Amino acid sequence: MSEVLRVEGLTKKFRGITANEDISFTMEAGSVRSIIGPNGAGKTTFLSMLSGHHRPTSGSILYEGEDITRMSVVKRARRGLLRKFQTPAVFDELSVWQNIELAVLAHQAAGPRANARIIEVLETIRLSDKPDALARFLSHGQRQWLEIGILLGAGARLMLLDEPTAGMTSGETTATVDLIRQLADDHQRSIIVIEHDINFIRDLKAPVMVLNLGRILTEGDFEDVSRDPRVRDVYLGH
Amino acid sequence: MNNSIMQRLTRPDLLAFGVLFIAAILIPLFTQGYLLYVLPEYYAYGLLALSLGLLWGQVGILSFGQAAFFVAGAYATGIALQSESWIASVPVLLVLSALAGFLVALIPGYFLFTGGVRATYFVLVTLALSILAERLAVNYSDITGGWNGMFVTRPEFDFGTLGSLSLYGDIPMYYFVLLILSSVFLTVRGLCQRRFGRMLIGVRENEDRMLAMGVDSAHIKTLAFGLSGAVAGLAGSVFAMHTGFVSPSLGGVLFSTEVVVWVAIGGRLSLLGAIVGGILVAGLSNYLSAALPDYWRLIQGLIFIAVIVFFKRGLAGALDDLRGLVSRKPGEAT
Repeated sequence: MSEVLRVEGLTKKFRGITANEDISFTMEAGSVRSIIGPNGAGKTTFLSMLSGHHRPTSGSILYEGEDITRMSVVKRARRGLLRKFQTPAVFDELSVWQNIELAVLAHQAAGPRANARIIEVLETIRLSDKPDALARFLSHGQRQWLEIGILLGAGARLMLLDEPTAGMTSGETTATVDLIRQLADDHQRSIIVIEHDINFIRDLKAPVMVLNLGRILTEGDFEDVSRDPRVRDVYLGH
Repeated sequence: MNNSIMQRLTRPDLLAFGVLFIAAILIPLFTQGYLLYVLPEYYAYGLLALSLGLLWGQVGILSFGQAAFFVAGAYATGIALQSESWIASVPVLLVLSALAGFLVALIPGYFLFTGGVRATYFVLVTLALSILAERLAVNYSDITGGWNGMFVTRPEFDFGTLGSLSLYGDIPMYYFVLLILSSVFLTVRGLCQRRFGRMLIGVRENEDRMLAMGVDSAHIKTLAFGLSGAVAGLAGSVFAMHTGFVSPSLGGVLFSTEVVVWVAIGGRLSLLGAIVGGILVAGLSNYLSAALPDYWRLIQGLIFIAVIVFFKRGLAGALDDLRGLVSRKPGEAT
């Protein structure tokens, strides 16, 4: 497998506050990585530097071998590096079909191939039974899937998911674990997930990186990480 | 399941357009004189309203600059006609005027949109465009005639060996303006249904989402603003040919505000609604200003307030709701 992402010494300072300090990170194409940490640990800041919404103070980001450290959000997205936001960012007043259609048409011409792609994405995100529903009438969980569908439709190769199970029922959370595994294992997408839900992270069975106060506290399998007394101390709280 | 909402929104407007178009073709059979003379002027206003409908309705950008593009097209036509050279032919006049409106919108639009100027701040700049256009028209009086205005002769449509058709008569002028209005409407409507149109709606609904999926919204908005300017420029051209007179106030803030009122009343989300709003409200204003000179501004203002408060989607939206009430199957959600 090839390397999709290589981050070296990434640091972000907002005025006097250091949000991220010296984070280095690599991942293989088609793999899943999860990031946990207490509130204010710098998880979303890290994701924002990967997506281009924040510029790092120092350090570098290599995506598919290309230095994208100073590249704009739009250019990164065109190269298949797409982000799902903490609060689902979908087109509320448009239907499920139109949401995915916009994402697909952003990068390919309209026609039968685009339509086939839309249907494919709708099936993957488990929304093919309600193409006409307005996005704002979907449940919280379905909105999360719709946004994942937008990333897929727009041609994501590396997906950054900021709290994808927020507001989900436990059934939806389980389905989301299956969805993410399916995207990585069957569709060869690379996925970075930030989450608070520890059960979700455990079920995802992906390598975990723990952030605390903007730095990497530890990395490893969920079992190892959850046994680490430092992690229990800062995050699990006992 | 494909696009059913889009179809629900757009199909009825084509039917309504067909009915109105046939009615408009038949009008000269029933009426002559003043009404036939004055209708093309309202059709030009309808075209101007369409230019804002494209921008405000589809992309969600409100503009108080439409008059500036309109007057650019009107002066372009007047100046080209005065030259009495090859550019004084009707097709060239139309192209020149559309180009004038296009550039007057595109150039500031490019710098503002790529510079990240959005929402209310952008609206304020469009307001300034109108002020600027009127001032320029007044100051460059050796070209424009200043407050004395510019007189424009009605041109002749030259078909080469097939002969020519003078637009001097009211009936040829009527059908000429109707043809321009209809074909521009169908072109804009067609454009809005293609990929470009979907991108416009995406920018209107959630611009940040579009950026984050790799769509450069600034370029899309710039192009839409330019196209809107081109349509307004065309409207200015047919207005100038028809009325034969262009004055600086046609580029001003007051006139731009009227365009916003027409489109709000007609229904900004419907291209046809915007056109009908332009024709109806301008016509009504003209009628009321003669019948009730003291009160017509007041009446127009009250209608505007009523629309904003009770019918946010204007006349077109109200008709759409009415159709929904009549044709809704039992159990179907609104």
